[in-house]
Amino acid sequence: MFGLKLLRGKFKEAAICLSAGRVTLPYPHSPVEAPSAFRGLPQVDARRCIGCGGCVSVCTSNLISVVDEGPLARFAWDLAKCTYCGRCAEACPEDAVTMARLFETATDDIFDLTMTVEVFMASCSRCGRCYRTQTPLDPPAPRAYHERRVQALCDKWKDKPVEPESEASL
Amino acid sequence: MTESSRILQDIRSHLGDSALECSELHASAVMVTVAPGDLPDASAFLDKTLDARFVISAGTDFRRAGKGFRVDHFFSQDRCKTWVVLRAYTSAEDPKVGSITPRVPAAGWAEREFQDLLGIKAEGHPDPRRLVLADDWPEGIHPLRRDVPYNIRPEPANNVAQPMAVPKGNVVVVPIGPFFPVLEEPAFLKVFVEGEEVVGLDYRGFFNHRGIEKLGDSKLTYNEIPFLAERICGICGFVHSTSYVQAVENAAGTDVPLRAKYIRSIVLELERIHSHLLWLGIAGHILGFDTVLMQTWRMREPLMWLMEKITGNRKTYGMNVVGGVRRDIPKESHSEILETVGKIEREWLKVISAVIDDTPLLMRLSKVGVFTPQDARDLGSVGPTARGSRQPIDTRIDHPYAAYDRIEVRGIWKDSCDVAARTLVRLEETLESIREVKQLLAEMPERPIHVEFTEAIPPGLEGISAVEAPRGEVIHYVLTGEDARPYRWRVRAPTYANLQALGVSLKGMSIADLPITLGSMDPCFSCTERVQVVDVRSRSVRIITGRELSDMARRRWDRAGRSRR
Amino acid sequence: MNPAIVTTLKASAYIGLTLLASPLLEGVIRKIKAFIQSRKGPPVSQPYLDLAKLLVKEDLSSTPSLVARLAPPAAFASVLAASLFVPYGVAAPAARAGDLFLFIYLITFSSTCVMAGGLSHSSPFSHIGSSREMMMLITIEAVILISLLIVGVSGHTALLSSLVGTSFRFSFVLGLICYLFAMQAMLGKLPFDIPEAEQEIMGGPFVEYSGPSLALFKWTFYMKQLFFGSLFFNLFVGWPHFAGWGWIGSVVSFAINFLAVLILGLFVVLIDATNPRLRIDQSLRFFAGLIGVALLGMGLAAFGL
Repeated sequence: MFGLKLLRGKFKEAAICLSAGRVTLPYPHSPVEAPSAFRGLPQVDARRCIGCGGCVSVCTSNLISVVDEGPLARFAWDLAKCTYCGRCAEACPEDAVTMARLFETATDDIFDLTMTVEVFMASCSRCGRCYRTQTPLDPPAPRAYHERRVQALCDKWKDKPVEPESEASL
Repeated sequence: MTESSRILQDIRSHLGDSALECSELHASAVMVTVAPGDLPDASAFLDKTLDARFVISAGTDFRRAGKGFRVDHFFSQDRCKTWVVLRAYTSAEDPKVGSITPRVPAAGWAEREFQDLLGIKAEGHPDPRRLVLADDWPEGIHPLRRDVPYNIRPEPANNVAQPMAVPKGNVVVVPIGPFFPVLEEPAFLKVFVEGEEVVGLDYRGFFNHRGIEKLGDSKLTYNEIPFLAERICGICGFVHSTSYVQAVENAAGTDVPLRAKYIRSIVLELERIHSHLLWLGIAGHILGFDTVLMQTWRMREPLMWLMEKITGNRKTYGMNVVGGVRRDIPKESHSEILETVGKIEREWLKVISAVIDDTPLLMRLSKVGVFTPQDARDLGSVGPTARGSRQPIDTRIDHPYAAYDRIEVRGIWKDSCDVAARTLVRLEETLESIREVKQLLAEMPERPIHVEFTEAIPPGLEGISAVEAPRGEVIHYVLTGEDARPYRWRVRAPTYANLQALGVSLKGMSIADLPITLGSMDPCFSCTERVQVVDVRSRSVRIITGRELSDMARRRWDRAGRSRR
Repeated sequence: MNPAIVTTLKASAYIGLTLLASPLLEGVIRKIKAFIQSRKGPPVSQPYLDLAKLLVKEDLSSTPSLVARLAPPAAFASVLAASLFVPYGVAAPAARAGDLFLFIYLITFSSTCVMAGGLSHSSPFSHIGSSREMMMLITIEAVILISLLIVGVSGHTALLSSLVGTSFRFSFVLGLICYLFAMQAMLGKLPFDIPEAEQEIMGGPFVEYSGPSLALFKWTFYMKQLFFGSLFFNLFVGWPHFAGWGWIGSVVSFAINFLAVLILGLFVVLIDATNPRLRIDQSLRFFAGLIGVALLGMGLAAFGL
């Protein structure tokens, strides 16, 4: 009785094992395609970027920093910190950010995972800061783009809180 | 009269004058404030008379508001589907509360934790040693206090060790961990063995605290936290993000669209299926039965691919935000989901019938790691660990969330209290989850999947939310604060509750049964250890401190930068 | 030619064959296991690569004990010596130098070396492993010895090579079953790999060994697989020898023998891949029962059945 049950169990197990066949995939010898909905490495189409900074304020790991240099707004992406949540792609009003299907991001050079986007923007004739255009994302949450941008700015602005009127005067 | 107001009345009439304040926090959550010295009596009343199960404690620093420190003990009254919060305020200068552990043993770790992290002394605690902080963490720095910055890094010290239990008599000490073949997690079990028999053990864990709660209330915003919460656990991440967003939604009173709730439930159940499949494989591997590992993980893989298609990732789905979900499950993908889970169901039925017939396997599982119903209740175990010991606890039934109040949920409990019972609970729950997924898909309502959530919610609101993870009950508590972030965010993962019970179930068992007993709780240390940035020194000859390591990384970075330029 | 030189040459060839063929057997066994587990599995040559890698690695040692140093080569040497008594389809070179008792002693000695090596380290895991090895050895050794004696009693001799081709009797069935289970345990296969038990005690006696020492232990196990399998076919299944065909006959016999061992390996792996590890008390009870069965077989053999 005992032995019969044991044998029955073993035969069932053998049936499960053998009916599956070999499932090992040849990866990495042949590439594997990720599904279309996959959230891989973010990629930025610089031609589409309008410099609104929506991605900066939604990024969950704060990996995008923005610096205004005269007429240029420089967005530096440190993708080594990326958690692939895809909030930037969701927030981008111009679809400039897309989550590529790229997942093989291992590298021995950390600069492979950094990217800088420079957007030419109109600048204020008084202080030389870039104009900020109204975007669908305005006004973003409290800890937001204005604050972040001021933090990354010249010393003149650093200590001063952003007053609504100074914002308007830009 | 609702259940919660009846409970409130019960508490008021029993505690009399010692209840300083009684109120309802939100639907199905009540709060009672007592003096810090009255906590033990009040908790004993909640535990014994009211039959409310202890869940977790949280300490909060209110010194800036001039209210000293606050200690909350959370209880769950499962039959009335109500949370009971027992609260006490203590002075800022000499924070201390009466320890409830002698009356409610399940609170042992929770009290040690707030003692470590906030410096609130639990007077009369039977084992007041350090639990969470590293051995060389200096005395007097309590990282969860508001005046301690989140990125503090005290100088590491050499040759500091917290006392651990010393074996008596002629026993061998077997070190299990911090690195052990089947315990791929940083925990250290000091097991005392006589021959093959385990006669005692001591536990030291929390080597991997990462300060997640601290980050949540000092750095991130409401809608950034779900993505961090999801990373608390690599296997049941969606459980944590769901629980967190529900806690915020409960606090803010956000009305989440029904379709979002259904999607959350579907993803939660799919996650449970893959986790139980994974667990059976691990259990087989622990017993040396690697074919089980290979085959269950083979069955699990199509499910991972399915998740990749519908959420965008195999794990850490990134689906939840406060106010709903980010991606819809459109009609077109329903057939694919049904096909995948249908295939798993067919194979799983075969697996179950094979396991039931496999006598050598049952020889290793039956009457091993016995954990009596009384122990399970007293030490607060949850999930399949409790359900294998005749404890009818299932958060989906006790505190319905997402779409679980709209579908039929069948709880699965077993009587034999051993590893075999826990295994059977998981095997049958998988089938049950598949059935639930089918029902949820069939009854899914129309869009939208998301409502607008502004992060500007008023401070001082509280929300509690529990989610039934594959391992048991996950609890998130959120107290809203200024600057679009919580003032306090507390996480309790199921392993935190289950691991405390380990000593009980291991006594007198063979060392050969130790791994499978541990495995039967499906321990997940990454969930358990969330709180503080710690630098634990290895015991190897060459010691690399955190600073050296970061220097090395920096040098590497510089070199890379130079070569690039 | 001088008969001594001939014997030496024969013995060298035999040892070389054992050393070279045994990793191949292991490679095939791994491939079969992978097949059962729906995997592709490592290439058949993997055990050779494993050994080569381990042999060139640093030999780390955590104890100054001489026993710990000598245990791996001693175990290796005793198993090599034992292989000289085992017929691989061809007559063993040391066929007349010793009987099956000597063979059992040599095998036991290799297990004792594993045990001594484990005990000479201070790791609690190797100590638990060694004490398990000891308990297992006491029962398995008895089972193997008695099951070999069943054939010995029927063939009226204790010389292994002279027992080849003993005509099959009913008592062999009992001996064969006992031998197969004991072999499973001797080779450290599930459900009896209790002394090593990677998931419980991290490899038991081997936990402190690395590099060449570990390679020698591994090789010892590979060789045991080869000659325990051969012994089974040559003793319990009356095996045709192509003795009259000169050296071609020897090669053909050896090849057939190797194939037979592979088929036996298939069964060993099947049991190995579809069972969980037993606890030491469960396994001891099992083998104690098996000793009873083996003694019954011995009684039958004594009555000429």
